[in-house]
Amino acid sequence: MDNIIAGLDKIFESRIRLGIMSVLSVNESADFNTMKELMQLTDGNLASHIKALEKAGYIRSAKTFVGRKPNTTYTITRLGQKSFQAHIDALEKLLK
Amino acid sequence: MNERIEDIRVIREMMEKSTKFLSLSGLSGVIAGSAAILGAAFAHFYLLRDPSLTDYTHTQELLILLADAVAVILLSVIPAVWLSWKKAKSCGQKLLGRQAYRILYNLAVPLVAGGLFCLIYLFKGDLRTVIAGTLLFYGLALVNVSKYTYGEIHYLGLTEIVLALAAALSGRYGLLFWTLGFGVCHIVYGLAMYFKYDRKSNG
Repeated sequence: MDNIIAGLDKIFESRIRLGIMSVLSVNESADFNTMKELMQLTDGNLASHIKALEKAGYIRSAKTFVGRKPNTTYTITRLGQKSFQAHIDALEKLLK
Repeated sequence: MNERIEDIRVIREMMEKSTKFLSLSGLSGVIAGSAAILGAAFAHFYLLRDPSLTDYTHTQELLILLADAVAVILLSVIPAVWLSWKKAKSCGQKLLGRQAYRILYNLAVPLVAGGLFCLIYLFKGDLRTVIAGTLLFYGLALVNVSKYTYGEIHYLGLTEIVLALAAALSGRYGLLFWTLGFGVCHIVYGLAMYFKYDRKSNG
């Protein structure tokens, strides 16, 4: 049992982080507002979770401009993809 | 354990919501199907059954058929857009997100190509090709977009394709298959989708 639990990534204990990773794992990229609307979060709440994932090296941000407005888009890193997959596998094992 | 199940639910929901257009309402299908049946009935009883009853020229007849088709499309698309807009609003989603553009583009390619193709054959006076062609391209368009919306659309598309081939084979009874495909199938699928998805999320 301990081994299985060890497969769960601590950083994904938050459902918001799970949500962010889910969106980014099936889309090439997603911008801040899209994720905010999808998960119905406040700016501050989403930003703090994004920061945590960026710090872990699971996602990467890129600043672009839409017209004159700055727009930050996020993509999942290879490390993020691997960790997220491992987490899902662990969840799956746990539920079997 | 329930925590973990909730985790999986969130993962699935976010993957689906961010990639699929789920604002389509089942009622749109029912309305589109009814419009198609009315349009087909008009074409059949007013024009095609016995052309000697009216004294339109051949070109006039084709223009009336075209107007009939345009009316059916408008009667189907306008309520569908309105219902989708309402559904998107009630789910707190944007109607025209990336998912909507993706589905519109993937619908448009086969539909515009097929529409022009059928228009050419309409003005050649070859109604049988138009009847089978509209069904065929529509079915292909549905199969093409089904990965971006509810999976059931895939089977609706396959059904339309089979009916298109049956219409092409049957010749004289093409319009009957057309009415089955655009009318009856839309109503049946629309009702099934309405009870499966819309009712649940409303109540």
